[in-house]
Amino acid sequence: MGWFSSNKNEKTEPTAPNRENRQKCWETRDAYFECLDKAGVVKAGQEGSICRGEKQEYEGSCAKSWIEYFNQRRIIADAQKERLARTNEQFQGAKK
Amino acid sequence: MTRPGLLQNAKRFTSIQTQSRALQSSAQRLIYRRARPAVTHGNQVQPTAFGKVTKRFASQLPERNSIGAFTPTAAALFVVAGIGLAFYFRNEKTRLEEEREKERSAKSYGRPQVGGPFSLTTHGNKSFTQDDLLGKWSLVYFGFTNCPDICPAEMDKMTEVINSAQKYHGDIFLPVFISVDPARDSTSQISQYLEDFHSQFVGLVGDYATTKAVCKAYRVYFSTPPNADPNGDYLVDHSIFIYLMDPEGKFVDAFGQVVTSADAQAKINGYIEEWRKDHGGSRL
Repeated sequence: MGWFSSNKNEKTEPTAPNRENRQKCWETRDAYFECLDKAGVVKAGQEGSICRGEKQEYEGSCAKSWIEYFNQRRIIADAQKERLARTNEQFQGAKK
Repeated sequence: MTRPGLLQNAKRFTSIQTQSRALQSSAQRLIYRRARPAVTHGNQVQPTAFGKVTKRFASQLPERNSIGAFTPTAAALFVVAGIGLAFYFRNEKTRLEEEREKERSAKSYGRPQVGGPFSLTTHGNKSFTQDDLLGKWSLVYFGFTNCPDICPAEMDKMTEVINSAQKYHGDIFLPVFISVDPARDSTSQISQYLEDFHSQFVGLVGDYATTKAVCKAYRVYFSTPPNADPNGDYLVDHSIFIYLMDPEGKFVDAFGQVVTSADAQAKINGYIEEWRKDHGGSRL
């Protein structure tokens, strides 16, 4: 899985990430997603050649299944934001 | 007419009235002696020794100020009864409402069938069954060590809840982590995983069949297939709840993701109080 952690010895079998590893993964993910936000891209992978550095860090710190999961969740959260904004508009309109 | 004439007429009138009343009462007396049911009030039927007296008095009233059977006494009784009933009903209603609320919140009324027998292995490679939950308030969470963020967040929440609850109640809690990923979560893996959370955490795992059984007992959904690859990189979809079990091993409540640590603590305190009341101030 490629965990870059200093306090782990040689691993013969894949081990689950501990708090440090998880934290690192989340941080690189957040950096990458911030970059995407700035570029206005929701779906990871559609940004072309920008955010390359962040993307590499991200994909090096997290398991593939996690990357897929986070990317998918980003798309869903974005769609939900739109829906929430629309319902909020309706609510505001109804209040008047 | 002159004044004295007026007075004479008045006297005559009153005397006529008294005479007619006397006649009427004697007539009534006759009627009652023949034991005929009274018609004047509608309620009272057979004359008794008392009855005759009251009827004689009461029967005079209809002449003066009654509307049909509605005499002043009846009116007074009606109002008094009405007020009395109103108060009674109000009290009863509040009393019943309180009872119903108590029943609804009481665990003995409609407790969901969550929990049950199971046999798993701890992260220390010891056997663990549902009996080992007894005697403490257990918080049970189903997850897997390769979980991206939800399981760690929930486990952190549990750690926080237990830390603060222990300060208040003492060492009466048992946090439990049950793995839904038996293919990858070995006991040593779980042991390592638990190092990041509360020191008293007990990690449990079993083979696929026992995992399926314990999930069924706790109504937990999990998506791991029976033939999962132990070297695989996959995520397990599963129900996300923290199950609170009382010292008798019975299910109390399930805290979802939206329940904050503070909310959970407040609820747990409430449940402990209730349980102690039901169990005569037991220490637990």
